Amino acid sequence: MSDELVRMERINKFFGRVQALSDVTLAVRRKEIVGLLGDNGAGKSTLIKILSGALRADTGDIYLRGNRVDIRNTTDAMAYGIETIYQDSALVTELSIARNVFLGREPVKNPRWLNRLDQRLMSEVARESLRKAGITKEIPPTTPISALSGGERQAVAIARAMHFESDLIILDEPTNNLGVEETKGVLRFVRSARDSGHSCIFIAHNIYHVFQVVDRIIILRRGKKVADDIDPKRTTIEAVEELITGLEINKGV
Amino acid sequence: MHTEFHKGGVRRNSIRFLQSLISRPEFGPFVLLVLEIVVFTARSPAFISPGNISNLLAFTPELGMISLGMTLLMVSGEFDLSVGSVFGFAPIVMWTFYNTHTTSLEIGFLVAMLISAVIGFVNGWFVTKLKIPSFLVTLGMLLVVRGTALYITDGFPQRTWTSDSLLMRVIVGEFRLADLRIYTSLLWFIFFAIILGYVLAGSKAGNWILASGGNPEAARARGVRVTRTKMTLFILTALISAYAGITSSIRVSAANPNSGTGYELEVIAMVVIGGTALSGGRGTIVGTVLGVLILRMMRNGIVLIGVPGLAYNIFIGGIILGMMALHSWLERRHRTGT
Repeated sequence: MSDELVRMERINKFFGRVQALSDVTLAVRRKEIVGLLGDNGAGKSTLIKILSGALRADTGDIYLRGNRVDIRNTTDAMAYGIETIYQDSALVTELSIARNVFLGREPVKNPRWLNRLDQRLMSEVARESLRKAGITKEIPPTTPISALSGGERQAVAIARAMHFESDLIILDEPTNNLGVEETKGVLRFVRSARDSGHSCIFIAHNIYHVFQVVDRIIILRRGKKVADDIDPKRTTIEAVEELITGLEINKGV
Repeated sequence: MHTEFHKGGVRRNSIRFLQSLISRPEFGPFVLLVLEIVVFTARSPAFISPGNISNLLAFTPELGMISLGMTLLMVSGEFDLSVGSVFGFAPIVMWTFYNTHTTSLEIGFLVAMLISAVIGFVNGWFVTKLKIPSFLVTLGMLLVVRGTALYITDGFPQRTWTSDSLLMRVIVGEFRLADLRIYTSLLWFIFFAIILGYVLAGSKAGNWILASGGNPEAARARGVRVTRTKMTLFILTALISAYAGITSSIRVSAANPNSGTGYELEVIAMVVIGGTALSGGRGTIVGTVLGVLILRMMRNGIVLIGVPGLAYNIFIGGIILGMMALHSWLERRHRTGT
């Protein structure tokens, strides 16, 4: 168990009287890409929001490298090296690329009490990390996000996650609303993340995308974990679909 | 950058410079302001006489200060309708304390500012914690604060001419510059504009303000303290409105419980004419300063060139509609990526 990066143990979450998660346990090892699948309302997003600090669990513990941690908000999660990339990229469209990459963690020039943004550093880093994220087109870092395409926006979100050296990158439906080439770019990023030492949790509706990149699949259904160690190389998509919906598709055959 | 280029490079550079100038959101308001000055001066040379400029610069800083605070608040996605009543209320508090011999003028000043900060805090608390739209919260606060001012004064103005202190001269002392009569309030306005302009455009806090208005959920997810940012700006706006009101009461030698009525809308108009989005996420202090000058000069110039003063609002409304159309057109052109 020494190569375990994150463990969420017996997580419970209620919204009013609805139990969104019941006793869910999830572990991600170092350099492992885990696919998290489930139908709408299965609890995927809730589980991920708890790990990224956007929600708090009612009961249950989170361990990071074997130590119990308390993730109270998104700032805590980022400080522990957990980055989340949401489907809508979670960017501020009015702000420039550089300002988005550093949002919430802006570098400040000396003297610190002036609180002055180091705009030159921000631009340089933004340009460099966009290139690493696979954007070959020359886009000035001062361009507002509103002028970018969906794929370029996702690349900015990915560049941000890569720059801040996060150990675990959570991708919540990153390929929604993307074109074919742009989707390929995101999948390429997920594969390369493992090589550069990151772990990933990959959530997608599109099972084919998940099958292409992950090492292991976890399935949630109605707030419970129904499968934990599905190997995409030795399972069929139909079998996974059955587990997600809980219906036997091939019944009677 | 303009040296050592051959001729074509210079021209290309200057064209690019011109293009970037035109694409700035402040360009429209700037053109309008220049146009206003030219037209008014041509129709009535008295417009640029020292006497008229002095008059213009006497009152402008007071509304201008409120607009500066309002700009930051509106960029963060909120606005404050109670600024006009705080403008009237704060001097009432200060002068009531002084005239009843409860405290010295200085302590009265501090108490007035403190109470105003509490008003801003309550506005911010209702908006951020109870999640009530700022329109409703600050409308309620407008009535509460105005009502309190009327109640404690029985509707009568407070005397302010009985004293002369250093504090009063620092806030709004009078001095002459060539042929102009200038109040120190103008210097304070310029000072606040520089500070807040820097905060919005060049500081980390400014990035948080812009992000809080642009996409609060995304900002929060990145660790930006959206609630604290908005709360601070509500307090700042109330404080600067109180300060402007105190300035005004000293300058005109009266603290009237009704003063500041309707200022909230004029201030919001100034801010949006300057290019700040009512929905937040976008705006500059330079634009607001232009917006302030546009509306104040319009009020002043219209009377000078003989348009009936009662027709003033027609022009103000026209300017607001025209500028909104321009801003939305620029925004759309911007979004299509040209």
